Amino acid sequence: MSWSRTRHHLSSPLGVVTVALLLLLVATAVVAPLLLGDRATEIAGGALQAGPSAAHPFGTDALGRDVLTRTLVATRLSLVLALLVVGIGVACGLIIGTVPVVLGRRAGRAVVAVLNLMVAFPGLLLALFLAMIFGVGARGAVLSMAIAFAPSFARLTHTTASGVANADYVSAARLLRVPRWRILIRHVIPNISEPLVINATSQVGAALLSISALSYIGFGVQPPQYDWGRMLADGLPAIYTNPAAALAPSIMIVVAGLAFVLAGELLTQVLGGSQHGHLRLPSLRSQRRDMAPAETPPPGEEVLRIERLTVTVPGETAPFSPVVDVSMRLRRGEIVGLVGESGSGKSLTAMAVAQLTSYPNVAEADVHQIKGNELRRMRPRDRERLLGTSLAMVFQDPMSSLNPTLKVGRQLAEVAETHERLGRRDAWRRAVDRLSAVLITDPQARAKQYPMAFSGGMRQRASIAMGLMAQPALIVADEPTTALDVTVQKEVLGLLRRISRESDAAVLMISHDIAVVAENASRVLVMYAGRVVEELPVSGLAEAAHPYTRALIASIPDMSTDRSRPLANIPGRPPHASDLPPGCAFAPRCGRADDRCRQARPELADSGGGGAVACWHPLLPVLESEA
Amino acid sequence: MLELRDIVVRYGHNQGAVTAVDEVSLTVAAGSVVGLVGESGSGKSTLARAAVGLAPLTSGTILWKGAGLDPRGRPPLQYVFQDPYASLNPRMSVGASIAEGLPRASGRQERPARVTELLEMVRLDPGDVHKRPRQLSGGQRQRVAIARALAAEPEVLIADEITSALDVSVQGAVLNLLKEIQTRTGVGILFISHNLAVVRYIADSIAVMKSGRLVEHGTTEDVIERSAHPYTKQLLEAVPTMTMGNGRS
Amino acid sequence: MKSSLRARYPWPVFLIRRLGRFVVSLAVVVTASFAMVHALPGDPVRGALGLMASPETIAATRERLGLNDPLWRQYLDYLWNLLHLDLGTSLDTQTPVREKMAQLVPATLQLGLTAFVVCLAVAIPVGLLLGIATRDGRGRGLHFGFGGVTGLALSVPDYLVSVGLVFVFAVSLNALPVAGLSGPASFVLPVTALVVGPAAYLARIVRAETQRVLGEDYIRAARAKRLPARLIYLRHALPNTLTPTLTVSGMILASMVAGTVLVENVFAWPGVGAELVHSVLAKDYPVVQAVALFFGAGILLINLAVDIAIAVIDPRSTIKES
Repeated sequence: MSWSRTRHHLSSPLGVVTVALLLLLVATAVVAPLLLGDRATEIAGGALQAGPSAAHPFGTDALGRDVLTRTLVATRLSLVLALLVVGIGVACGLIIGTVPVVLGRRAGRAVVAVLNLMVAFPGLLLALFLAMIFGVGARGAVLSMAIAFAPSFARLTHTTASGVANADYVSAARLLRVPRWRILIRHVIPNISEPLVINATSQVGAALLSISALSYIGFGVQPPQYDWGRMLADGLPAIYTNPAAALAPSIMIVVAGLAFVLAGELLTQVLGGSQHGHLRLPSLRSQRRDMAPAETPPPGEEVLRIERLTVTVPGETAPFSPVVDVSMRLRRGEIVGLVGESGSGKSLTAMAVAQLTSYPNVAEADVHQIKGNELRRMRPRDRERLLGTSLAMVFQDPMSSLNPTLKVGRQLAEVAETHERLGRRDAWRRAVDRLSAVLITDPQARAKQYPMAFSGGMRQRASIAMGLMAQPALIVADEPTTALDVTVQKEVLGLLRRISRESDAAVLMISHDIAVVAENASRVLVMYAGRVVEELPVSGLAEAAHPYTRALIASIPDMSTDRSRPLANIPGRPPHASDLPPGCAFAPRCGRADDRCRQARPELADSGGGGAVACWHPLLPVLESEA
Repeated sequence: MLELRDIVVRYGHNQGAVTAVDEVSLTVAAGSVVGLVGESGSGKSTLARAAVGLAPLTSGTILWKGAGLDPRGRPPLQYVFQDPYASLNPRMSVGASIAEGLPRASGRQERPARVTELLEMVRLDPGDVHKRPRQLSGGQRQRVAIARALAAEPEVLIADEITSALDVSVQGAVLNLLKEIQTRTGVGILFISHNLAVVRYIADSIAVMKSGRLVEHGTTEDVIERSAHPYTKQLLEAVPTMTMGNGRS
Repeated sequence: MKSSLRARYPWPVFLIRRLGRFVVSLAVVVTASFAMVHALPGDPVRGALGLMASPETIAATRERLGLNDPLWRQYLDYLWNLLHLDLGTSLDTQTPVREKMAQLVPATLQLGLTAFVVCLAVAIPVGLLLGIATRDGRGRGLHFGFGGVTGLALSVPDYLVSVGLVFVFAVSLNALPVAGLSGPASFVLPVTALVVGPAAYLARIVRAETQRVLGEDYIRAARAKRLPARLIYLRHALPNTLTPTLTVSGMILASMVAGTVLVENVFAWPGVGAELVHSVLAKDYPVVQAVALFFGAGILLINLAVDIAIAVIDPRSTIKES
């Protein structure tokens, strides 16, 4: 936590209000009893239970004492009691919460079970029964509330501490034989204190409300002492004659409670580091004019055509574009790989191609055609229909891309029900048929199961089957095998190839693994820092012209890498899209870069070998032996 | 050298029990790099965690130079975790994290110098010593984690999927670094990965695990070129290769 | 591979385990309610009857209540009587506690359940709609306003809401009855007082859950299938928000039980909560015991019902249950 960030949060509206309220409360608690203590108990001789007047802005109570003065003086006792409750509760909670760690597994589990049982009971209810044992009065109320509050704090302590105790960095410290007490002081406590401090702070507010409640029903502070709850109890019977007498303590209870709740929120922001302040959103209005393509390609051949796609996302100072001017064309039956590291913009590109860019991100392209239809000129309904039937998506993580609460068959069938108006039974039959098409054994039974019962590979095949419910012309597969084991990866990739071959669908295969793409695609687009830096046939990968492509291939060991030589090294790391250098984005990591590279960005241009490259100094195939 | 003998790790009891590691024996000789491959759930990480006491041993013995491990003395084994975002205490500076690994006997004056030396060894700027983990990239964090492990002057380093959370272009540099450190310090390495190509590149010998059992173990050359077990063959066939165009048959 | 018992019969195993936990918890509550009386400082009978009671009366009462028996004997008697629904006699009014409870319980149940239903009926649709309106960080103004309104509603405790309602509707407008149970109109104020805080809390949870679920991969996959919005929200999103909603609803119902104590007091509602306050102050411990049992068993039943409901609705949960 840096001071500048703390100051930033404190000077926010929330910070100012919270700090002002807390200071006001503390000042009142300290000063009011000193200055007004006598006046508060003074029986003014005037009217009893009088309404508001100039002398008594909130009227007088049953003995004719000034309500406002008493409310202010009561601040100290009300706050002190609340702080005592939280103090005692936190102390007990910390001890009980750490006991399971010390006691070991079995005894610890028993403690946790008891805590879980106790937490199920509302604190106030527990306190009411405990009040019977401790007796009515301020002391009894504080003890009962503290004991009632301790279990929930103990459980929070326990869950946070056991989370940290299982963290890798604590394991690492244990392996380094760091002494136990040192692990506790340096690793555990600093990392659990945040949530506990935050929770304790907001609990002061809750304790204040509860103690006031106890006083109000007569369990808490007894006359002649008085806190806000007690004053509320005294003022309520007279609500018809002088409502202000009940209102004054009510207002203070609400304000004080709110102050601590806000303090908790403020602490969360300061400590917890919600670093994203106000992000600048990209504007939704497109600045581009409709640029209809001059030449119309044979509609049957070209499945996807996208020109100058740019995706803009919100940024801290200004919106920025992690994808810039990406263009691509895919023909029927073609598998094209889109390769890049994390942060290169390849997944955003995939989403934009499928028109799934989600708010607040904005995707714009000069041309975006599916099967020759310009999407931006279609009516929304027709567009959804076209995309629903001719475009299929396969996502990276099959564990999370199937809905866990719906049967697999249902998730397939609904596609046909929606877009082809098939009846339930026909749609289901087709779902079963498609599941068998992706080689899921016993598809009838499997369709009736929830995704939970499927293995990772089966789920990914089921999501591919989902795309096959209609007649897809384009399959966008976003890292379809990254979450899978290699043997399963092979099956899934084989399935995608087979579908492409049999149904003549084009596949846009997004991957960080250049080997996966090399094995399955015929053409590769290489992305770096949001742009396509090279486009080439797979057969030309070894002779790639862009230094990045070349270095990337050389830096990844495969089954034929020379083991005696170090791997090619790409120094540094990929730049962040919000902070790109002025020239070529790869220049800072490139051995061939000169001033020109650092100043001017090269455009994608024909590289001669059937591809295109964006580089001022492309590597030539003949130079390869020298490199 | 480190000897794992008949290691069994079983979780749960009675009918719900799951055997994660099933009687596996493995030796990591001083100065050698042993690669351990397997798919998710094969038990390779559990075996490694059991070796250093992070997973409970159901049965089996762990021997160090023929004797049992002394739980108090200087540990001969160190561990580098998969996720560099979780293995560094977010509230400790890079320098403090590394210094924690230094032997307690080392004098106060020597410590900063040792930390600088270690930072240089893992190719980090010694000026980064006061940085917090969140100011570093994944690759840099993993280097800090390696430096911390090396600080304890281990004789065997266990590297558990240390490149799988990193960017592709950074992975090569970390592998090079590990190889270089191995040559320079002679530390033995148990290198765990699901990526056969990476293991092949870095390891002298390879052990293959499947469903908690060790199915094959031999020199890298033997395992890759003359694999005996059908599962190993299956794994080898599944590895995508850059030898272009052979996949589309 | 041996398949475990739990994998083969998930439902019976789950039910047996869950019911077992319920019985154990209930035993703890019963024991606690028994122990409570013995934890009282001093002689409970003297405390209840007051300093003016003659030693003979006290001795007789002690004998009648069996307080002179050994502790284990008292405990067994207590359990035995409980099994016969014999809750003892009030020290204050000398009437059987069971009769008293029979009058009070329906009033509290009516109040609590009405409030609960109103709370769900308001909070779930509001939370869902706001979750949809604020998905992916949309509608920041709306989100902020919602946060402010619910935050305020949460920081005003139910008894103060009651006071405020009494002030506005009864004192200023003279529109609604403020005390007692007398027809549907008398429900309005106490139910409102009970509902405000919990409804704000539940609406927050439902909104946050809806927003979380709408960010999940399977929703993205549903959008990729180009399903109409209606199906995406109702078929794909809503069922996935149910588990946390149910869990929180259970907590809310439990906290409403506690809320009745205070709210019944403000509105002079003839229920268990108001009686609790009275009997604790009067040290009428047989009544306190009965009330403790009522609340304790009630909360345990709520938790049991919630867990079973989640297991029925969510296909993932029976396996997850540990």
